Amino acid sequence: MSPADAPPPKGRRPPDELEVRGIPFRDETEAARAAEAVSERPVPARRITWQKFTVLPSVVALILLATWLWFRGARLDSIARNAIGGGNVWLRLEQHVHLTVVSTFFVLIIAIPLGVLLTRRPLRGAAPVAMAVANIGQATPAIGLLALLVIWLGIGTKAALIGIVVYAVLPVLANTIAGLRAIDPLLTEAARGIGMSPVGVLGRVELPLAVPLILAGVRTALVLNVGTATLAYFGGGGGLGDLIASGITNHRMPVLVLGSVLTVALALLVDWLASLAELLLRPRGLEGGD
Amino acid sequence: MSFWEYVGSRHAQLLADTFQHASAVFQCMVVATLAGVAIGVATYRSEWAGNLAVTAGATLLTIPSLALIGLLVPVTGLGVAPTVTALVLYGLLPIVRNAIVGLRGVDPALVDAAKGIGMSRAARLFRVELPLAWPPILTGIRVSTQMLMGIAAIAAYASGPGLGNEIFRGISSLGSVNALNQVLAGTLGIIVLALGFDAAYVLIGRLTIPRGIRA
Repeated sequence: MSPADAPPPKGRRPPDELEVRGIPFRDETEAARAAEAVSERPVPARRITWQKFTVLPSVVALILLATWLWFRGARLDSIARNAIGGGNVWLRLEQHVHLTVVSTFFVLIIAIPLGVLLTRRPLRGAAPVAMAVANIGQATPAIGLLALLVIWLGIGTKAALIGIVVYAVLPVLANTIAGLRAIDPLLTEAARGIGMSPVGVLGRVELPLAVPLILAGVRTALVLNVGTATLAYFGGGGGLGDLIASGITNHRMPVLVLGSVLTVALALLVDWLASLAELLLRPRGLEGGD
Repeated sequence: MSFWEYVGSRHAQLLADTFQHASAVFQCMVVATLAGVAIGVATYRSEWAGNLAVTAGATLLTIPSLALIGLLVPVTGLGVAPTVTALVLYGLLPIVRNAIVGLRGVDPALVDAAKGIGMSRAARLFRVELPLAWPPILTGIRVSTQMLMGIAAIAAYASGPGLGNEIFRGISSLGSVNALNQVLAGTLGIIVLALGFDAAYVLIGRLTIPRGIRA
């Protein structure tokens, strides 16, 4: 057993583990070194570091800069110029952001209240049904769902928007239900014990405890929706999918790459903003817990 | 034409598409599983490398699939190549994450006990650590497969194989008699495939999760 061989895996380490390790086949020095290794690791503080603020935006900025430099040198024919000229790129970007924001708003005002309702006593029986539906929903391909809605409602932004919302509601709902259920029943019992009304328990105990979870739901919805919004093009909803699709169908690589890079940059930035919000808005008392 | 008549008259084409869809997802999952577990094994011992793998995976996962496929097309051309690359990449991520979490969650006392009875590094890995980390890895495989089913449908736009072609044929002929049938056949086919794979994974879990750690 050389020293380089197998440093103990980090992670969950039971407090009594050192003794188990020390007794049978370790000599003094090795046990002592293991003890040091344990004491060296303080509980990591879940604070915002400067890396969190800077790394991702600078990477995105670099990608955009590189794409722009490459794009200036790329040779564009009339088809490619048509696809990106006349402010079309801005229009598509704007549509994409609009689709993402509006659909996220609807996802949240549908999924979170529904999740709260489904964890109340009278409706608790319906929660497994909702979870089962959510599971089947996950097996449904987004593009198929969107296409069915377009056939049903006609082509346009409305069908695309509904498709995006329906696709994201189920995962956020499942998360909300799981999170509200995971709240220690002792806490809600204690709140009821000191005379809080059901509404008081919900508003002053359960929802504050569920804030991290709700923020995680916001992030999930945003990231999912940026992705599904690329498919909105196939339903006539516009968005950056337009550039990608016309790049593929017309075999114009500059258009395709521009659309893809903008979509990737948008997705990364949205996720980054949501992760910052998650850190900043988390109640102080819950820090350290996950 | 009703949906069932449509399915009846096109069953050869539909079966071929279904088979291609299933086989593309299955093959990519095999590659993704092997590579994902290998990356997990290679990185879980180092805090730095493991966290890097998890963060990189999470970041890649936020990239919309149509955009990733769009970035792959100039490199690989249209067809099977971008589909397979995208599917393997997306399939990797949940498996790597779960492999690292699972391997790190193995009680160090157990690994130490294995060391104590004289097991080599490889034997410890294959006979102690990986079997104990298998349930989360299998969960990762299930999540990946469900995701790949939908991504494979989108990859059909870049001339990939599978049931997505049925859906896009329907979209491009919106308003025609068969548009609904085509979209419905493609979508339902993918749902059935996804549920079938999921059931297979439940069965695989029953058969392969060591009895001692079965919930």
